[in-house]
Amino acid sequence: MTAFFDRLFEKQARNLAQTSSRRGILKKLGGVLVGASAVPLLPVARAEPGAGPRKPVEQGSDTDCDYWRYCAIDGFLCSCCGGSANTCPPGTEMSPVTWIGTCHNPADGRNYVISYNDCCGKSTCGACLCQRDEGDRPPYRPDKTNDINWCLGTSSASYHCSTAVVVGVAFDD
Amino acid sequence: MFYRRHLYHLVLLAPLLVINTVFAEVNDARARYHYQMFCQGCHTPDGSGANAVPALKDRMGLFLTSQRGREFLVRVPGSATSKLTSAELAEVLNWCLLNFAGTSLPSSGYEPYTEEEVDRLRQDPLQEIIQHRASVITEIAAQSSQGAQHE
Repeated sequence: MTAFFDRLFEKQARNLAQTSSRRGILKKLGGVLVGASAVPLLPVARAEPGAGPRKPVEQGSDTDCDYWRYCAIDGFLCSCCGGSANTCPPGTEMSPVTWIGTCHNPADGRNYVISYNDCCGKSTCGACLCQRDEGDRPPYRPDKTNDINWCLGTSSASYHCSTAVVVGVAFDD
Repeated sequence: MFYRRHLYHLVLLAPLLVINTVFAEVNDARARYHYQMFCQGCHTPDGSGANAVPALKDRMGLFLTSQRGREFLVRVPGSATSKLTSAELAEVLNWCLLNFAGTSLPSSGYEPYTEEEVDRLRQDPLQEIIQHRASVITEIAAQSSQGAQHE
């Protein structure tokens, strides 16, 4: 029985020695090492969870005109009209076309990109009028003005109220 | 044997070379911020557009198949007259192509915009945008139907 195993292993070892070279293994190993070293450079998401854009630290009430996200708003606060700073009241439609600016959040010291999506399809809400206009520009800079009706891209152009949705963190040059 | 060994390494490293060429000029966080601040309000977060606002998504790459189309993306007033510097505008256009153009990109590849090219083209913003855009699209459609006939 022992002799059988001896012969088997000897035969296999000789076969391997005859069909492969010592440098061949170095070549393959080298290739694998170079290839493996390239893998971490590929553009995959390697960031730890939470290392990306953080959610803002919230402070204050979104029914208050002084609330940090409303720094450039001009309109009725949806949070007083049956919606919230992020959502439209029932029966209205959020305009996909909007004007966008940045607001400083004093609670975490960061600047955030805010999208002032209007809610449309009902007559004006009338509650919590809030006009702060920071960074508002005249209509010759149409993407940075809040003096036009932003109910664009909705089935109805009737303005009801305004939201202030955080869409990102401002890039620090 | 020499060639085979090097071919093996080249195959492993080829994706890296391509990625470096295409991404070298684009800082993702900065370009995304500029898109959000100066484009997203009308073109929407994913580039789909709305009603009269043209979609970038799966469309804008078509414009790279003609020289007038390539110039259109820079000369359109939202690009040409924006507050962005020419380097920033080139970056945000390249970022949009990478993130939104999808299947509309030319199958033969494309040259990313450079600051110099954008700086030159934006000196001449379009006036009759809708008519100009329609004529560019007609030209691109004619080109592609010619191409189909030749195949």
